[in-house]
Amino acid sequence: MNRSAAELLEEFGPFPGMDSVHGVTYDGRHVWLATGDRLNAIDPDTGEPQRSIETAADAGTAFDGRHLFQVAEDRILKIEPASGHILSTIPAPPGGNSGLAWAEGSLWLGQYRDRKIHQIDPDSGAILRTIESNRFVTGVTWVDGELWHGTWEEDGSDLRRIDPDSGEVLQQLEMPQGMGVSGLESDGAERFFCGGGASGKLRVVRRPR
Amino acid sequence: MDALITAAGRALSAGDPLGALNRVALRDDAPALALRGIAMAQLGDFTRARLLLQRASRAFGAREETARARCIVAEAEIALASRDLGWPTKRLDSARATLEAHGDLTNAAHARSLVARRLLLLGRLGQAEHALAQLEPSALPPALGAVHALTVAGIALRRLHTETARAALERAERSARLAGVPALLAEVESACLALNAPAARLVSHGQEHLLQLHEVEALLQSKALVIDACRHAVRDGDAVVSLATRPVLFALARLLGEAWPADVSRDALIARAFRTRFADDSHRIRLRVELGRLRAALAPLAGVRATPRGYLLEPGAASEVAVLARPIEGKHGEVLALLSDGEPWSSSALAMALGASQRNTQRALEALADAGKVQSFGRGRARRWIAPSVPGFTTTLLLPGPLPGA
Repeated sequence: MNRSAAELLEEFGPFPGMDSVHGVTYDGRHVWLATGDRLNAIDPDTGEPQRSIETAADAGTAFDGRHLFQVAEDRILKIEPASGHILSTIPAPPGGNSGLAWAEGSLWLGQYRDRKIHQIDPDSGAILRTIESNRFVTGVTWVDGELWHGTWEEDGSDLRRIDPDSGEVLQQLEMPQGMGVSGLESDGAERFFCGGGASGKLRVVRRPR
Repeated sequence: MDALITAAGRALSAGDPLGALNRVALRDDAPALALRGIAMAQLGDFTRARLLLQRASRAFGAREETARARCIVAEAEIALASRDLGWPTKRLDSARATLEAHGDLTNAAHARSLVARRLLLLGRLGQAEHALAQLEPSALPPALGAVHALTVAGIALRRLHTETARAALERAERSARLAGVPALLAEVESACLALNAPAARLVSHGQEHLLQLHEVEALLQSKALVIDACRHAVRDGDAVVSLATRPVLFALARLLGEAWPADVSRDALIARAFRTRFADDSHRIRLRVELGRLRAALAPLAGVRATPRGYLLEPGAASEVAVLARPIEGKHGEVLALLSDGEPWSSSALAMALGASQRNTQRALEALADAGKVQSFGRGRARRWIAPSVPGFTTTLLLPGPLPGA
């Protein structure tokens, strides 16, 4: 396994009126932050807030190319980004749902204390398969066929790439002490966007190649 | 970081414990147990709340030190709310240190304010002020700011600094509105009632009327000689003679004060101070002895002169004499005063706060219970006392803060 320190490129926030970052996604232009009762679009180059959608936003956020998906209480909402309308909802699996990602026609849902990632059907919410991790799972993202997730236990937090079949940890980027990762998204290239939990920050970490 | 926990936490901090329970009722993982514990505490079921928090504390992993520390702070708050004043404060101190070390300054501040509130309840005003001085009010979130201001007001009220108390209560109200927590607003409201309700009865020149606290404060700062029947002392400005341990002398002083500027007959003094209707020579001799003692005790403040029919109080520098009595007289007023917060107290906590022995406190409670002024429930160590005539108000339980990363 390849283990190294995470290379921090930028740090934005905390943003006015946003106490905690629970989920992060990227639509190609904006980074979206789920902050409890709103989804907020942030310009990832300047860190400027652009607009927001009022909705329950308690945990992970994902983008499928057209829609935003948002974990809210025990459901997953499908939201049209332009209007903010909720198009549909599916039940989330029972348990402590945290991070959310979109890939290969499925949603990938992290379960924090259960240390699991479920692949779920975006239409029905049914669990298609489950990957086990050995740490508390926060954010989840796919990039170039690699599955990455954030972990956060007490003061320790890292980003790790795992084998989607075996759950084996292939690579690990350790965050500086006290810097947690509550949501994770890649921009499809060089950058990871990380939510900073109660710090209310958005951090940009270099993705190693 | 966990959707239901986040949502339940949001409901709790908005003062909606049932909404929080709805979201985590069926979960037995550590954060859910902790949230259920806090929700039960907000609903007033302290026993269940304490058990849930203890289970949560055990269920958090060895590495989750801050989460455990938050559970300990919540337990301490429940202990305070249930007037369990003997709670081990060392645990709270070490939890606060853990929270500070991990940067959870909000909950660390919450822990400090609990320490201050406990000291206030125990009447250790100087120590309570010292604990509050460690907190910077402007840095606190609104709910904690309201609690801070309420504690400042509580200390000021006990010190009879009514302007300070009023200003602090205005701050508390603003913060409570900002926080939007109804229980906090209710607490501010009942503290305002305490500030504006009659606090004492003034007897002067044979007339009496009720005084509010600020009028009591003004009276004590005036040039009057005050026979203080609330604290069994005689005061003239800063000079105080305590007669708390000499009830007969105080009874005589009070009778002389109530009659001033007239004198009081020997028979009246004997009847009321010695509680007997028949005055014989031995009573007259005893009266002379007791008045000699009173004269000696009051010497710095006032004189006592014999008149043809009895005795007369002669204030020294003071131009007025006033007797300050409790608004409603009766025995064990100090026990009732503590119970007037509407919370269930154990007799040991009352004894601690009164600085009295367990046995004396127990006796006072039994006497009050016979008179129908207090009620108890529970048995043995779990027995609690309440004063049913006082409308109860909630001690606000605050959310012990975001769970790790949430």
